[in-house]
Amino acid sequence: MLKGKLKFIFAIIIIAGAISYLVFSGVKDTMVYYLTIDELQAKVPDVYGERVRVSGTVVPGTIEKDNNGDIKFKITDGTNKINVNYSGIIPDIFADDVEAVVEGNYTQQNVFIADILLAKCPTKYESDEKLYESQKGST
Amino acid sequence: MYQIGNVCVYFAFFLSLYTVASSLIGARYKHRDLVESGRNSAISIFILLIIVSLSLVYELINTNFNLRYVALNTSTDLPTIYRFTALWAGQAGSLLLWCLVLSFFSSIVVFFSNKRDLDYQPYVVVVLYTVLAFFLYLITFVENPFALLPFTPNEGRGLNPILQNGYMAIHPVTLYLGYVGLTIPFAFGMAALISGRLNDAWIRHSRRWTILAWTFLSVGLLLGARWAYLELGWGGYWAWDPVENAAFMPWLTATAFLHSVMIQERNGMLRKWNIILLIITFFLTLFGTFITRSGIISSVHSFAQSDIGPLFLGFISFVLIFSFGIFLYRIKELESEENFDSIISRESAFIFNNLLFLGAAFTVFLGTIFPIISEAVTGEKILVGPPFFNKVNVPIGLVLIFLMGVGPLISWRKATPENLKKNFLVPLIVGLIVGTVLFALKIRDITALLSFSFCGFVVATVVTEFYKGVSVRSSRGENIFVSLTTMISRNNRRYGGYIVHLGVVLIVIGITASSTFNSEVQATLNTGESFAVGEYELTFVKLETYTNDAKNGTKAVLLLSTGGKTIDTVYPEKNIYRYEGNREINKETEVSLRSTYKDDLYIILSNVNSNTNATFRAIINPMVSWIWAGGFVVLFGALITMMPKFSKRRVPSTENMGFKAEKA
Repeated sequence: MLKGKLKFIFAIIIIAGAISYLVFSGVKDTMVYYLTIDELQAKVPDVYGERVRVSGTVVPGTIEKDNNGDIKFKITDGTNKINVNYSGIIPDIFADDVEAVVEGNYTQQNVFIADILLAKCPTKYESDEKLYESQKGST
Repeated sequence: MYQIGNVCVYFAFFLSLYTVASSLIGARYKHRDLVESGRNSAISIFILLIIVSLSLVYELINTNFNLRYVALNTSTDLPTIYRFTALWAGQAGSLLLWCLVLSFFSSIVVFFSNKRDLDYQPYVVVVLYTVLAFFLYLITFVENPFALLPFTPNEGRGLNPILQNGYMAIHPVTLYLGYVGLTIPFAFGMAALISGRLNDAWIRHSRRWTILAWTFLSVGLLLGARWAYLELGWGGYWAWDPVENAAFMPWLTATAFLHSVMIQERNGMLRKWNIILLIITFFLTLFGTFITRSGIISSVHSFAQSDIGPLFLGFISFVLIFSFGIFLYRIKELESEENFDSIISRESAFIFNNLLFLGAAFTVFLGTIFPIISEAVTGEKILVGPPFFNKVNVPIGLVLIFLMGVGPLISWRKATPENLKKNFLVPLIVGLIVGTVLFALKIRDITALLSFSFCGFVVATVVTEFYKGVSVRSSRGENIFVSLTTMISRNNRRYGGYIVHLGVVLIVIGITASSTFNSEVQATLNTGESFAVGEYELTFVKLETYTNDAKNGTKAVLLLSTGGKTIDTVYPEKNIYRYEGNREINKETEVSLRSTYKDDLYIILSNVNSNTNATFRAIINPMVSWIWAGGFVVLFGALITMMPKFSKRRVPSTENMGFKAEKA
């Protein structure tokens, strides 16, 4: 009986150990720092070559598309700006003034080469702001 | 109309408090009338909530923009069907839907329960209506859907175009039915703990309701994946987004429960474990609602945010402390005499299955809240994205698929070497053949090889089981089809479960193929030019524009050919929604999808550069349609497991009310 129990305990330890290992190596290999533009620039030059995620507001009028469908734009946190080059699928809601999240590498030329681009509009989405605006416009 | 709705919301909230109090006192002092009164008020809450929902629907359809909720979620140009679905597009409406579904399920529980039982059933009502009272509190005092604006805007904000999709009409409801349905098994478990009636009656009820909720949850998850695939336009169906994880975690633990419950029903083991699984599952549904509704974890599609976060955290803490408290209080009574005999047995296969499901749920949980933990611990926000979830969950998933083949064939208690050889020889050979053939076909991806081989193994075990059952019967001269249907209906849980397994195999095949062998090409073309993706060739013919009430559409026309033969014309679109009162989103990509059993050709019009020049992205996703087909098979199998017993021979007439009688 005891021997049977021991086998179970061993098996459980193996499963728990395997899952812990997966989590550990998974985190180690895939973790990405989520920085503000401020923090990103403070981390230069350590940040070169490291994969990071940065968020900021798209500076109006800076979005440029080239013929391959790749884009260049600037994002800002209000004071600082960085240049972003991105190649990939452009989200529908990506436009001037939206909050963009980019993931990739910050290069020595101070250009952020992104391969992930997310755009969100969370704060304004369910706010009354626009309704008031529409009211103003109509009266 | 909204005044009626608003009054009913308040009534419903206070009645839920009354239901809890009268059921609790009635049960405590064995006061029949109070318990009865609690039951009646429980059912009347459902009627009130129907009135609430109808009055909100009325206002939505008539676009009464004086109501904040209506102004934020509809507009005059919105088609009626989407004015109706706007009922669950925003925060307050989603919470109302939550309440409506919970009170619907709870009323069914109350209606079919035994009136004369004063020991156990009233506590089920207490737990259910405590949970309901919390959600009713939210829609009454915090996020009231009938809140008015100080003025009436001329136009509303309208519904996000990506939510204007048929799948969005049914996906949230289905998911909610599953999500909210998981409250019911939790309530049965808690009531058993509170009342001390720890016989196996509660586990039967819990299991039934879990299967029902699990089915809705599974279908809801797949509908959500399908919606993301068609609408979000990035070529995938699952992104490990917090909102997706929120629904996936309780699905994992509910799946674990559905398996371990069989052991408890069979020989009374794992009683504590099952309670814990129910508590965790319910916790995960609350936690999921919390992260989707509070906006604490940034997600690309958190559709609604507000400050209900702290209330949720409070309620989650209460639920956790209470459930584990009462669990510890009864822990002695939950002991079982049985012990596990052998590590090579079906029991232990189920234990490992449970550990792995729970482990998967834990890793998903960890990955989802990782930014919060890391920020709290190190002060820096660190994310783990899809690569983390894939890296961790793919190996766990592979072992689970393997166990899915082992479980049905290995004997209970202790498997002998003869048993192993007799049952596993053929399926193992099938699995090996699948692997070898694929290797010979130059497939070198180790994950894919293992996945497909295990799938072959599982299919072989299921087929063997069906074959064994049918051949025994048909050897007695029965028609094969007759013996198949009688076998399934006599033992519907078992064979229904096998069919669910087959559905899961189809889904796994689809996921494996589409994530391993997909390919993607981007090209910028002038009209008349063409590009190749895989074996297909796409020729850009022209751009067309059209205008309708809602949008200005730009449609690209491409000829699709393979092997020099034109087989189809495809039309990816890029649309600008005309109405600008709404949202930041007025641009929408409509992908063109050409789906066959072999592969999906997914074409995106990424950019229109001029009248004759455009950029396209074409993705080949092999075998994605297998995922949706697997969903139907899972649904079919699950329906079989839930089928009431019709067998005339074995069920005497007194048991005709089987469902009712067992509920008592």
